[in-house]
Amino acid sequence: MNDKQRILVVDDEPQLTRVLRTGLSSRGYEVRVAGDGLAGLDTFGDWQPHLVITDLAMPNMDGLELCRRLRAISQVPIIVLSAKGEEKTKVEALDLGADDFVTKPFGIDELLARVRAALRRLTKPASPTQSSFHEGDFGVDLESRLVKVRGSEVHLTPKEFDLLIYFLKHSGKVLTHRNLLAAIWGGNYVEQYQYLRVFVGNLRKKLETGEPPKSYIVTEPWVGYRFLPGG
Amino acid sequence: MLGKVFEKDFLGYLAASLAVAFVTVVLKSFGSHVNATTVALSLLLTVLFVATKWGSRTALTASVLAMLCFNFFFLPPFGTFTISAPDNWIALAAFLIVAVTAGQLSARARKRAEEAERGRRKIEQLYVELREAFERASHAEALRQSEKLKSALLDAVTHDLRTPLTSIKASITTLLDEVRGRVDGEERPILDEDSRLEMLEVIDEETDRLNRFIGGLIELARIEAGEMHLRRNWGAADEIISTALTRAEQSTKNHEVTVQIESELPVARVDERAVSEVLYTLIDNAAKYSPPATKIVIKAERGEGATIRMSVEDRGVGIPAELRDRVFDKFFRATRDGDVRASHPSGTGLGLAIARGIVEAHDGHIWIESGPDGRGTRVIFTLPIGDEEAVEPQREVATG
Repeated sequence: MNDKQRILVVDDEPQLTRVLRTGLSSRGYEVRVAGDGLAGLDTFGDWQPHLVITDLAMPNMDGLELCRRLRAISQVPIIVLSAKGEEKTKVEALDLGADDFVTKPFGIDELLARVRAALRRLTKPASPTQSSFHEGDFGVDLESRLVKVRGSEVHLTPKEFDLLIYFLKHSGKVLTHRNLLAAIWGGNYVEQYQYLRVFVGNLRKKLETGEPPKSYIVTEPWVGYRFLPGG
Repeated sequence: MLGKVFEKDFLGYLAASLAVAFVTVVLKSFGSHVNATTVALSLLLTVLFVATKWGSRTALTASVLAMLCFNFFFLPPFGTFTISAPDNWIALAAFLIVAVTAGQLSARARKRAEEAERGRRKIEQLYVELREAFERASHAEALRQSEKLKSALLDAVTHDLRTPLTSIKASITTLLDEVRGRVDGEERPILDEDSRLEMLEVIDEETDRLNRFIGGLIELARIEAGEMHLRRNWGAADEIISTALTRAEQSTKNHEVTVQIESELPVARVDERAVSEVLYTLIDNAAKYSPPATKIVIKAERGEGATIRMSVEDRGVGIPAELRDRVFDKFFRATRDGDVRASHPSGTGLGLAIARGIVEAHDGHIWIESGPDGRGTRVIFTLPIGDEEAVEPQREVATG
């Protein structure tokens, strides 16, 4: 049995798929490529890759539709390749369940880092079942709702606590505004970006205090936030 | 305002009095030569005149004045307001009633005419305002459309520039990564020779693609600015086709290409280089968007009127009827924007736009039909055969 991790690259630009195939293969991944969403979906069914990298604008079936179809059948991590000017589509793809995005043109290192992060999340249990857990600088006791950052206790309001737990459970992943609002406040609040801004601001004030100060919550402009538990 | 109305009224009464007085003096100067009927009619005319000019109240005054003058100067005994004969009483009364009625009627007619005129002016003014508003709105709409178009074009251009750049950047960073790893003494996966060659080939091909795209942009900009300088000469279809085929040799090597030229096809006054460019684009497209080992047929024949008709036909997936006009728009790609399946990557989206520009600069037409049996694509263009004088003077000057 081959123990290499399998990556499916879906893009209609053969030059780019050639490069990605070589670049990723040289790092020990097994790579297959597909020229559009439809072909991508076929290959996904036959081959069950660990990760999917997809372009957004493609003939036959675009990246958005591919994300939607994949999410309906699988929790496979999806990285979206997007270009400036495609922000709306990119956010839509993330809302539909894509895990991360890389903006074109990108260096292979950047893509490899995103691939590693996405695959790491895959090997880790999706949600901690035990009552307490550690993640980066964070120690959390779910029963007593106690949070420690680098050893010192931090007092959070119930909503701030919920937001932090959601961030921790999805650390490293890009979470769109709508995504976060729906998860913490519910589906009726997905347009209330200002709630999120206030609560993220409060969390930052309470969490990013140590010496030297670390930034745990990274703003992804126009998209949302990414939580890095190690700062 | 009130002063103005009063002044206008006063002038009206004065004019009415003067008019009646003037007519009376004129009639009186004829002495006994005028009879009562003439006097009555003349004074009636005066009342009508006053009515149409100054309105009903002035007409009423004029009627009374005219009646008094009629009685005083023309009905015996003259010089008094008394009347001897009873039938003259009737005449006077009739005169007064006719004068008043006619005066009022004509004043009303005048008023109506004035109102109609005011209405007409108002409608005219409204029309002008409406037209101005409409012009402003359509101007704003045109501006908005043009802005929208500009930003769509900009998006298309940036996409076409960024796509090859992405492949180039990814290739270079893959190569760099390895070299850096070696320099730093880190253990990084080493690319084999084939992979390294592939990266370099991608960089080479993608830089060529960028260059082609930029070349196309410049050519298109030139055509759109009307700066296309045609160098017209008597060109033969077979030479044009063979030039285009030589250029397309690489892309058509897996296809079966057939050329059909009508016998005794006349030469046409065209820019051979430009027309062979059109043909090359069509042949290259046919090869790109049809499966290997299928037929590509190139035809040249006489068209309707004094034209040459050339066509390139393939057995590929074809272009849906609703996209056949749009594929001539710059940056439009049926494979990307129109959901047309193709195994080959889409081109720059400029080829057909340039082809149309060249054909239209020759006063020709270009369009798309389905291939034989409704399958595949047939692109047809016509060019006027032309004569020595067919060269537009403007373009001659420009090339001169």
